[in-house]
Amino acid sequence: MMGDLAVLQDVLVYWPEIARGLASTLMLSVIITLTGLIAGIAVFYLTLSSSDVCRRAVQGYISIFIGTPLIVFLFLLYYGLPQWGIKLTPLTVAVLGFTLNVAAYNARYMTTAYNGLDPSEIEAAKAQGFTSRQIFHLMTLPQVLRLSIPALTNQAIQNLKDTSLVFLIQYAEFFAQMQEVALRTFRFFDVYLLTGLVYFILVSVLTNLARRAEMFADLPPASRHNR
Amino acid sequence: MTFVDIIAALSKGAAYTVGVTVACIATGFTVGLAVAVIRRLGWRFAAPLTNVYLAVFRGVPMLVLLFMVFFGLPSLGIQVPPLAAMMLSLGLISGAYLSEVFRGALNAVEPDEILAAQAMGLTRWQTLRCIELPQMLRASVPGMINEFTTVLKYSPFAYTVGIPEIMKQATALVSTTMRGVEIYLAVGLMYFSIYWMLVLGVWTIERCFRVPGLTHR
Amino acid sequence: MALLEVRHLKKTFGDRAVLDGISFDLEEGGIKAIMGPSGCGKSTLLRCINRLIEPTSGSILFRGQEVTGRDTDVRALRQMIGFVFQNYALYRHLCVLDNVTVGPRKLKRMSRREAEGKALHELQRLNVADLRHSFPSQLSGGQKQRVAIARALAMDPAVLFFDEPTSALDPVMAREVAAVINQLHSENVTVLCVTHDFELARSVADRIIFLRDGRIRAEDTADNLRNHYDDHEIRTFFGPGAAPV
Ligand SMILES: Nc1ncnc2c1ncn2[C@@H]1O[C@H](COP(=O)(O)OP(=O)(O)OP(=O)(O)O)[C@@H](O)[C@H]1O
Ligand SMILES: [Mg+2]
Repeated sequence: MMGDLAVLQDVLVYWPEIARGLASTLMLSVIITLTGLIAGIAVFYLTLSSSDVCRRAVQGYISIFIGTPLIVFLFLLYYGLPQWGIKLTPLTVAVLGFTLNVAAYNARYMTTAYNGLDPSEIEAAKAQGFTSRQIFHLMTLPQVLRLSIPALTNQAIQNLKDTSLVFLIQYAEFFAQMQEVALRTFRFFDVYLLTGLVYFILVSVLTNLARRAEMFADLPPASRHNR
Repeated sequence: MTFVDIIAALSKGAAYTVGVTVACIATGFTVGLAVAVIRRLGWRFAAPLTNVYLAVFRGVPMLVLLFMVFFGLPSLGIQVPPLAAMMLSLGLISGAYLSEVFRGALNAVEPDEILAAQAMGLTRWQTLRCIELPQMLRASVPGMINEFTTVLKYSPFAYTVGIPEIMKQATALVSTTMRGVEIYLAVGLMYFSIYWMLVLGVWTIERCFRVPGLTHR
Repeated sequence: MALLEVRHLKKTFGDRAVLDGISFDLEEGGIKAIMGPSGCGKSTLLRCINRLIEPTSGSILFRGQEVTGRDTDVRALRQMIGFVFQNYALYRHLCVLDNVTVGPRKLKRMSRREAEGKALHELQRLNVADLRHSFPSQLSGGQKQRVAIARALAMDPAVLFFDEPTSALDPVMAREVAAVINQLHSENVTVLCVTHDFELARSVADRIIFLRDGRIRAEDTADNLRNHYDDHEIRTFFGPGAAPV
């Protein structure tokens, strides 16, 4: 356990770096959650395409990102591309990699929700003469998003936790800063415990917000699920 | 160095990747099952403990836990070997998520069947073992596959604690050959193949135990 | 001595007396039906007797032994009472044969072979032995109910309890189950049968217990209940032209 509160004193010396790290973590989480959602909607839209080739390509993209570790893709972009003279900043790599990865998951959640919808409603809309694009943004998307709220909010929480891996591509987020602090203070356990505690608190706050969002959306019980 | 050479060089690590993944899945499965059973049986003293476990292992990032165990505990005089550190972080995290999968599937067991088992004179434990768990495990297969996949995808972090798995081989190879693009594409391909074998393997096992009309497939 | 003697049995949920002083006997080899409007406490009565629900007060003698006490071996009691549910409650992950053998194997410690022999005997008795390798989802309602009865019989119970065995069945299948109960009666099986189906009660039971608001209002033969009571409630429930419940 934290043997004494001295750890806080030791750590507080590095407060400016830690605060900057925390800000970077939060910023990255917010960015990838938003871009992941928007890209996820786009991918989901493409899964409904009438073109066979398009649907297959999209399914291939989704299963590749679901079947391979994100870190491999990040390393490919960050440590691989310089081979071709392309040097991206850690932030660019992180946003690009996470967005593509999160979009694949979000699209999958939306597909699950979509499969649970009542098809007769969409048929009725078609019969009324709505175009398929109108049907998508007037009927399909709002319902799918509402039903996907538990999965999407879980993904947002997962995003926050997963940003802790970007120190491996030299992005100075919270965990990276805390590792610095651990190295300088030689209080490895205490500092990592404190790190875990901070993430735990952030996740708890987010979980709480997510439950409120679910309550607000008044979902049927079957659509609540984990992850 | 051709693409095939790269694959050959990386495949030294594949066995370690599979080993780490299987060890963490086994840990997660055992702990997740135990937690789900404890919660199902409603043991009053154990329920708060399982709540703490679930909250902690779902609230802290895997890498932070791994570092806490592998680099942190030695400063308290406890040395943890790399594989054990993976099992204590990634394994226990997957246990927390798996126990939720199991809980959902247990809740889907028909209450009438449990009542019938009780009316027959089976003990609570016999009812759990003969009726609830066999149904629950079959219904949990899709959830288990998701969770096992997640474990596989977090297994590369084993390289940060020095396990010579695929990712470790790759970073070493990149630093000597500077052929990052091909190497990381090959890494991705290998993980994707392992992922497919994992999924196929689980479905093959499932098919051996499949019961008509029990799960909707 | 009767097989089962129930005396002044009470069960309250909160402050509501669902069973309010029930007394009746069931003779060895006898067969009684329990009827009454929905919510009058029929299922509660059956479940109190095998202690799936704890009775509030009163006494239950099973072969002369008090079985409501704290020290009663509840599981031994339940093994002597075969229970057949309205919705069959077959174990969906087990084939028909395993559904029937699970009790003997786990509770009577029979070997698999021995249990399967016993199970086949009971399945033949109920005419569903061909279905032994099928799974519950592949059976019709009537077949499921036969398997459920075989499952109960495989434990060699002293008495069979039925809780609305025909409510989920169409009339043809319901008559099938009635025939099965009659057959069991002729083989000297003791039966207590809760039902909404007057035809079933009349065709199988020596006597019908009429339950209302947690009390026994009458216990008599089907014909007497239908024709010889002036009581308003009994007339509306059983009387000629009474609406089927
Ligand atoms: N666990 C319980 N808690 C509170 N009330 C209960 C409980 N179980 C049963 N009851 C109430 O007791 C009453 C009798 O229930 P019971 O199931 O015995 O009726 P029943 O005669 O079998 O009815 P039905 O013909 O519909 O099956 C009902 O009004 C029911 O609401
Ligand atoms: Mg009832």
